[in-house]
Amino acid sequence: MTRSTSRRTAAANARPAAGSVDGAPPPALRLTRITKTFGPITAVKNLSLTVERNQVVGVIGENGAGKSTLLKILSGLHEPTSGVMEVAGRPVQFRRPQDAVAAGFGVVHQEQSLLSNLSVAENLAMNALSSTDNATRFGWYRWRQLNREAAETLARVGAAIDPRAIVGDLSFVDRQMVEIARALRVDEQTHATPLVILDEPTSVLERNETAILEREIANLKSVGSVIFVSHRLDEVRRICDRIVVMRHGEVVADRPTGDVTEDDLFKLMIGHAAKADKRSDAGRTVGAQNLVEVRGLTRRGEYRDVSFAVRPGRCLVIVGALGSGRESLARTVFGAEPFDRGEIRYRGDVVSSWSTVRATRNGMAYVPAERRTEGMVGGFSSTENITLARTGARPRFVLNRAGQKKLAREWFQRLDVRPDDIKLSLQRFSGGNQQKVVMAKWLQSDRLRVLILDHPLRGLDPGAAETVNDQIRIARDAGTAVILLADTLEEALDMGDDILVMRDGDVTARFDLSVDTPTTLDLLERMV
Amino acid sequence: MTQQPTEQPTQRSPERPLTDTATAGPSAGPRRRWSALDVWTTVGPLAVFIALFVLVVSLRPAFLGGGGLAIVATQATAILLVALGQGMVLHVGSIDLSNAANALFCAIVLAQALGSFGGGAIVLVLVIGTVIGVLNGVLVAFFQVPSFALTLGTLGILQAAGLIVSDRTTVYAEDTSLLTPMFGTAMAGLATAFWIGVVLAVALWAMLRFTVPGQSLTAVGLNETGALFSGVRTRAAKISAFAISGLLASIAGIMIIAQAGSASSTGLGSDLLLPGITAAIVGGTAITGGITNPVNIVFGALTVTLIPIGAAALGMPSEAQSLVYGLVIIVAVALTISRRRVGIVK
Repeated sequence: MTRSTSRRTAAANARPAAGSVDGAPPPALRLTRITKTFGPITAVKNLSLTVERNQVVGVIGENGAGKSTLLKILSGLHEPTSGVMEVAGRPVQFRRPQDAVAAGFGVVHQEQSLLSNLSVAENLAMNALSSTDNATRFGWYRWRQLNREAAETLARVGAAIDPRAIVGDLSFVDRQMVEIARALRVDEQTHATPLVILDEPTSVLERNETAILEREIANLKSVGSVIFVSHRLDEVRRICDRIVVMRHGEVVADRPTGDVTEDDLFKLMIGHAAKADKRSDAGRTVGAQNLVEVRGLTRRGEYRDVSFAVRPGRCLVIVGALGSGRESLARTVFGAEPFDRGEIRYRGDVVSSWSTVRATRNGMAYVPAERRTEGMVGGFSSTENITLARTGARPRFVLNRAGQKKLAREWFQRLDVRPDDIKLSLQRFSGGNQQKVVMAKWLQSDRLRVLILDHPLRGLDPGAAETVNDQIRIARDAGTAVILLADTLEEALDMGDDILVMRDGDVTARFDLSVDTPTTLDLLERMV
Repeated sequence: MTQQPTEQPTQRSPERPLTDTATAGPSAGPRRRWSALDVWTTVGPLAVFIALFVLVVSLRPAFLGGGGLAIVATQATAILLVALGQGMVLHVGSIDLSNAANALFCAIVLAQALGSFGGGAIVLVLVIGTVIGVLNGVLVAFFQVPSFALTLGTLGILQAAGLIVSDRTTVYAEDTSLLTPMFGTAMAGLATAFWIGVVLAVALWAMLRFTVPGQSLTAVGLNETGALFSGVRTRAAKISAFAISGLLASIAGIMIIAQAGSASSTGLGSDLLLPGITAAIVGGTAITGGITNPVNIVFGALTVTLIPIGAAALGMPSEAQSLVYGLVIIVAVALTISRRRVGIVK
């Protein structure tokens, strides 16, 4: 890390402006009519996009709009089916990720791509060009050099992470910071003008960390360009110079940030305006008896002496920071984890030898936070996933294939799942559409009584989030008891009838929102 | 920052007439074409068997006239039955290393008991085989012992039990008249016993494809946690897969007696384990679980049997036969192993 920022900038500006007519430098990146198909599915269609030098371009769109495919093309993971890609005025073809790195592209992927069994410094050094830099000598690591460079890079993003720490031991947020640091490093290792591509880097970051990232992006603008993909419309407007909106694989708008409002963006992304949905208690079927009641429930190392009750047609939101034990609590109620003391009553009776099988059969549903590994069977089609839950008291022996297809089509239409292919294996859908299918699996049962949701909106775009929230409300209004572990406190206050606040395994506060009107700050105070 | 040059190429692209995408748009509807990979997954094992068979016949035409296919089917029967059981266990993401030993143990017990109990001995053997399978399944499901280690243990126990029951000699069944129709009669030139295996394969295929328990088995193989969190009885699914494996092993044991009339720890059927696993894999079964086509295992078993018989028919020396067997198996597995649904192969 001896090269200075000014030298790099000078080198970049000294490049001959190939491809430009009037002498102005060519854009850092120009995509012309890029199309990418996967078999019969067109993920990106005729996409044209230009990123000028020293510019931050925001790319927004629903899950499945083609953003991830675009980023995979830019990072050399997919080759486009047709179209032209130019970097600094020269046509390029990325056949493998190393080509993208050599062109100065640094990518922070949505799904983290760090090697969890290696140290932070090793991960930072790990890319196509590390064999030619000075981190190794005769194939041997120069640990001191490696760690010092890593520390300097981490300091640039304002992260106080030990370069020698093993990545697997870091928190999710710290890992995200390492990923960002690694993407930013591309300009130190290549002589190309850097283009840093950030794929929803802030979706799990805390506010103060987001601020650090925003500052870093502003720094980057002076040396290169940035493509910033996000779901947070306010953030995109704050950070980006220009915003590109994608829908169904195409660019539907490309505007300077000053010209659009958040509402405009939402409308462009989803195709219709945001609903001004306020909580209304009218028209609900609220039961008088407690459907689920938990008394003095304790699981060692997770939560202590928790009591709560939920009635049909009501929504209980449990809030808490990491380590509050609420995830384990929700899983215990569904029978997926054991408990040490206390009791769970379901429809008035104390449950014994509770299991996911019994819970499901008695009308309980659980939407886990880990969608891919726990919420769905990726190798199954959507139809098979929607009909997988064993909710019947006596399951049928022969599969009713025609009935299942009809059911799947009905739910695909109701939840607007894309692509509209009920036979396609679910792992090939985007996250938001996968979550819709997971919801449909439980909602299709006419025996649904309790819906337990662990971070149901994690990683979803506003459109899919709206669909999922609507479905939760519809189920609740029809008399389902809802237990929700919300992503944000705003969501908790929006969806909940009762709020349970947990900290380190203890219940620290309860609010009945028909009586109390706590603010997010009130909740936060009792969480930490 | 105003972006004059970039506005015009990107704005409102959907409104422009797009000739090259007009045919590939969503108007094509939700119907999906079969990809080449899907087709190969379905017919690959059959194609590999036919190719090998044609190769042998073209080099030695007498193989066809001399009832070569009948010999292969007869020799493939026990392998097929063991491979079908293995296929079901692999389908739930486990492995059963004990099922071949189970088959041989059942054969020894049957040889001892057939003379005195007749049909009752057959029922007894079916029960013994199934119970051994259930025990394997219960230990795997409830004590979370890795199936590889557990069934390796059961394999040793069953071998020891076989030695004790047979008193380390060859046990001759006193009266095998009940079982003679198995290999004594034929349909379409192939032994009845082989057709029983085919019928069982079709039955298992239908079970996996059309029934709720079959869907549960597949779900467990593809993603056990996902299945568990959907209320699928994952333990019951595993136990039934091992039970089926045990039941089919006992049927394989019955076929050994029907074919040879005797059983010993080193005689016919003592070398079924690896051919059984190979037949399942050449039949397109994914060892990672969730992808098994029992009908294709029939062709897998035929292929595995054909290679040594065909090599012998072509007059290869015995050391060359082993070499050919190894090479052809590698090619057959490379051609037929399922790569669908899973990107990586362990």
